[in-house]
Amino acid sequence: MHPDSLISAVATGSPGGAPLGDAPPAVVDIRGLHVRFGSVDAVRGIDVSARAGEGTALLGRNGAGKSTTMRVLAGVVPPTEGVVRVSGLDVRRDLLAVKRVVGYCPDVGGLVPRATPWEHLQLSARLRRMSDWEPRARDLIERFDLGEAAHRVTSGFSHGMGRRLSVALAAFHEPEVLLLDEPFDGVDPLGVSATLDVIGEARARGAAVLVSTHLRELAIQACSTALVLRGGSAVARLDARELAGEEGADVYRALLD
Amino acid sequence: MSTALSSTEVRAGWFPVSGVRDAFQDLTALLRFRSAGLDAKGRRRLRTAGLVVLLCTVAAAVVPAVSPGAGTGEDVGRLVAIMPSIYLGFLVLAVVSAAASGGGREIVPRDQAVAWPVSSMTDHFGALLLAPLNIAWLLQAWTLLGTTAYVTGRPANLWATELPVLLYLALATALGQVVAWLLEWVRRGPHGVVVVRALLGTVSVALVALVVTNHLTDVLDQSPTVRIFVIALNGSVLSWGPWIVGSAWLLVLAAGCVLLGAVPARLAAGRAPREEHRLESGIHEPRPDALGDLRALVRVDRVGIWRSLPLRRGLVVLALMPGLIAFGGQLGWDRLTILPGLVASGAALLFGVNTWCLDGRGALWRESLPVAPALTFGSRVWVLTEVLLGAALVTVLLSTVRAGVPTLPELVALFFATLVVAAQVVSASMRWSVRRPFSVDMRSARATPAPPVVMVGYSTRLALSTTFVGLMFSGLGETDQWLLTALVGLLLVLISGYRVARTASRWEDPAARARVAVTVAG
Repeated sequence: MHPDSLISAVATGSPGGAPLGDAPPAVVDIRGLHVRFGSVDAVRGIDVSARAGEGTALLGRNGAGKSTTMRVLAGVVPPTEGVVRVSGLDVRRDLLAVKRVVGYCPDVGGLVPRATPWEHLQLSARLRRMSDWEPRARDLIERFDLGEAAHRVTSGFSHGMGRRLSVALAAFHEPEVLLLDEPFDGVDPLGVSATLDVIGEARARGAAVLVSTHLRELAIQACSTALVLRGGSAVARLDARELAGEEGADVYRALLD
Repeated sequence: MSTALSSTEVRAGWFPVSGVRDAFQDLTALLRFRSAGLDAKGRRRLRTAGLVVLLCTVAAAVVPAVSPGAGTGEDVGRLVAIMPSIYLGFLVLAVVSAAASGGGREIVPRDQAVAWPVSSMTDHFGALLLAPLNIAWLLQAWTLLGTTAYVTGRPANLWATELPVLLYLALATALGQVVAWLLEWVRRGPHGVVVVRALLGTVSVALVALVVTNHLTDVLDQSPTVRIFVIALNGSVLSWGPWIVGSAWLLVLAAGCVLLGAVPARLAAGRAPREEHRLESGIHEPRPDALGDLRALVRVDRVGIWRSLPLRRGLVVLALMPGLIAFGGQLGWDRLTILPGLVASGAALLFGVNTWCLDGRGALWRESLPVAPALTFGSRVWVLTEVLLGAALVTVLLSTVRAGVPTLPELVALFFATLVVAAQVVSASMRWSVRRPFSVDMRSARATPAPPVVMVGYSTRLALSTTFVGLMFSGLGETDQWLLTALVGLLLVLISGYRVARTASRWEDPAARARVAVTVAG
């Protein structure tokens, strides 16, 4: 698909520009999102929608607004303008409720330096009212190969270990919306595989998954839809497969320029 | 700082005297780098702060010399007798400050400095440069200048009196740095922590033995610092021969210590910080689930403090040092009201003034958790309060051992002084933490919760307010009106409580929390 037609597809919110028809309602619904930090516009009028079971990759250069959009959805950064709904809840009005249905892996760190992975999970379980949480916690810790480090403080973790734990924490309570910001950054192949499995399981049980990454091929593997951001605005929404291979790489590069 | 050799060190060899010039150049470049991060307002504040410190220093040196009774008053004789001890006290402070912070403050934080080949000599010079940016150092230095000026009481010859004192300040600071680097080198070596603790234990036991056997005064009378005071006296009476020789010696010794410090600094940099690594690689057995949200939050906030090397070490020093000094000096109940403020301020300066920095890069994740902002805020207030009160309590208990039996007003005054300063410091800390967060890596024993210049501002404000409160309660304790003391104390606690509540309502604003979380997470 030509980049120009991709840009026009953004307006319809559907890959290829086709109308959405009888598709299920969007779990993530962002309209006209603006985020300003002082005089800097981090996000300038982004529209995003993601339905249950759908995986959406947020792609774009550094500073395109991917992480800020994720932070707004996670309830960490308030929107300056626009409407942001998560599972039908408004992030301005129902912030706590939004945080309950969202699982968030931040782009930087995301771990309390002097707490252990187990203590992170314990706190999350307590605040999310999860009873019988230990089997799920153990399962995730083993799958992300963190068994030996489960009771060590995270400040001694390598970057990849920290990323893996962050993904495990985001997926722990089986959220309706899973937000993964740079989940593959510095992660070894086994960790990448575990992350892809978690994304697949989340989509299978009906969660909307948003993944922000610079690794195009992994984005294609994890998601069905790709949203390309540039300079704080969305410039294209397309089927993730259209970004595959050399031809897809050319399309992506054209959208970034 | 990096433990790798820098290009400067490779060129300079084992004792890199020839690298001194390079180290100074590197230091200048690092200072320029740091000042480039300041906006116009920051630069203006920096200039104002520098001017205030300079004016205070001049005032501390001049005003006592022209005060009534200077050089002739009834109290001059008593002050002369303890001058060598005051000089010695400054040296102890210089050693303890530098040693407690693992070799002094960093000119550039460790996580940022890895990008450049910063030599250990540059690091050492940087730590020396930052040493005076500490309210305890400044207050002691002003006390030294002021007391010397007062007991000599000759304003016309003031420059000659104070010059040796200034040289001594430089010498003591540099010597403190040498000792601190040596201790850090030992601490990082095989069984280093045990060796250093045994050393500190021995010194403490010796001091207690001297106090108990009433020999402390005899030992202090033999202090070599008496010679420094004599040089200052030579200046005041224009006895040029001994003054020139003495001052020259002080200058040579100070310069020698500045250079000598580069050797243990280099040795320490060559060893890995074992204690930090041990804390990071140790196993922490899981505990049963917390019974409530607040308890769960408090538990995570507490580990942020007690598993952090600089905070743990700093709190122990703060809780014990003033108490031991009061124990040794046998302070009376009227003076004990000053101590809780000193300890509470010091404890807040370890992390409290930027309390969200305990979350580090986990701030974004914590902010994404479904919990009421008031509870997060309340947890931090609780933990900060218990740390400040706990440290102050240890100090108070130690200092009351030899203070005799108090009267009821004295007891009430000390109780409320402790409570009020804790409330005041918590209130100020939470306000600054929300208003002005900083991204800092608190893994290093040398880290501070805010840039050094900001820390001077915070420490000055805390010192002023808590000292005022301490003096006020000291005065109230002298009266028989213990009920009035209690009422004043309650009123001040309520005012601080109101200010904490006002900050908590600011914390309810998602934009304010977002700013803190994003900044702290870096």
